[in-house]
Amino acid sequence: MKGGTALGRVLGHGSAKNGVGHWWMQRVTAVALLPLTIWFLASLLALHGFDHASVAAWIAGPWHAVLLCLLVMTLCSHSSLGVQVVIEDYVHGHGLKIASLLLSNFAHVLVAAAGVFAVLKVAFVAN
Amino acid sequence: MAEFLLPLGSRVNKNGKTHKAPEGATKVRKFRIYRFDPDSGANPRIDTYEVDMAACGPMVLDALIKIKNEIDPTLAFRRSCREGICGSCAMNIDGVNTLACTKACEEVASSDVKIYPLPHMPVIKDLVPDLTQFYAQYAAVKPWLSTRSTAPPDSERLQSKEDQEKIDGPSACILCACCSTSCPSYWWNSDRYLGPAALLAAYRWIIDSRDESTGERLDALEDPFRLYRCHTIMNCAEACPKDLNPAKAIGELKQMMAERQH
Repeated sequence: MKGGTALGRVLGHGSAKNGVGHWWMQRVTAVALLPLTIWFLASLLALHGFDHASVAAWIAGPWHAVLLCLLVMTLCSHSSLGVQVVIEDYVHGHGLKIASLLLSNFAHVLVAAAGVFAVLKVAFVAN
Repeated sequence: MAEFLLPLGSRVNKNGKTHKAPEGATKVRKFRIYRFDPDSGANPRIDTYEVDMAACGPMVLDALIKIKNEIDPTLAFRRSCREGICGSCAMNIDGVNTLACTKACEEVASSDVKIYPLPHMPVIKDLVPDLTQFYAQYAAVKPWLSTRSTAPPDSERLQSKEDQEKIDGPSACILCACCSTSCPSYWWNSDRYLGPAALLAAYRWIIDSRDESTGERLDALEDPFRLYRCHTIMNCAEACPKDLNPAKAIGELKQMMAERQH
């Protein structure tokens, strides 16, 4: 335990003067995900067939492709914010915490990029 | 990583001493109580006390005092007012943090009354936790009136009845620590998260119409750990023996933080 007084330890390095941005974005992405997810599930249910050609044709629709890209990016962004909180809650060694945060960040960006690329590829190749 | 198992020296031996009820006892109830003696070097243990409820007051604190007076004087616990206003006898009874003086033994649903110290705090002895950090967190939110304008020379700083009523609730906090020590987020990160009790105190001064340091107070709280470790688990509101709602106060603090951004 760090030395000094109990009050000194509680005050630590002071307030980081952030946290509200994270809190706000978590809610913004949650609100955005609500219609996107409903649209996505409803569209899947409305699909006539799940064979490659009909799904690819559906994805290739311009609105569908745009909304799918938004869904992938919003989902990854929301998940990244959430996983960050879990890591901050439970991983306490400073080095391990920073490494986990970096790994989580990179993984989320990678998944988002791959998802967007996949949608665009299907959209452009199908037409 | 967060610790999900107690350190080796803190693991509890469930089979401590048993103190049998005296002969002729008519209404025996078992109290299973956490015991820890730092001088013995031994692990904590659970001792069982058979108490004759026919000759005991109704509250859990009455039973603890009876045990200490008549059965085992080595049992250590804090108590003072015995009417729910000092906050000294906060402990974990039947799995819930509450005050021993206002918890009736009959309200305890389990057949045995299980009593532990407040969770996840360093234990000084038996049911006495070390609250040094908890009090420092209270001090850290500067729980006093902070103004820039000078006070009226011939009167108090007045506030309306409505403004007073806003702080009636949070002012009733007795700092028993039932809320903070029931909060999982406080268990994992009490070194940086201020906890529900300190945040409720901060809220009490932030909404006080006479206080002029709202901005500085919000600045001091705007931190991923100090404030935003609250994940609205609500154990604090569930545990509070004064029926206060720290979780709601924290929610309003987060809202104030967002409002001043836009």
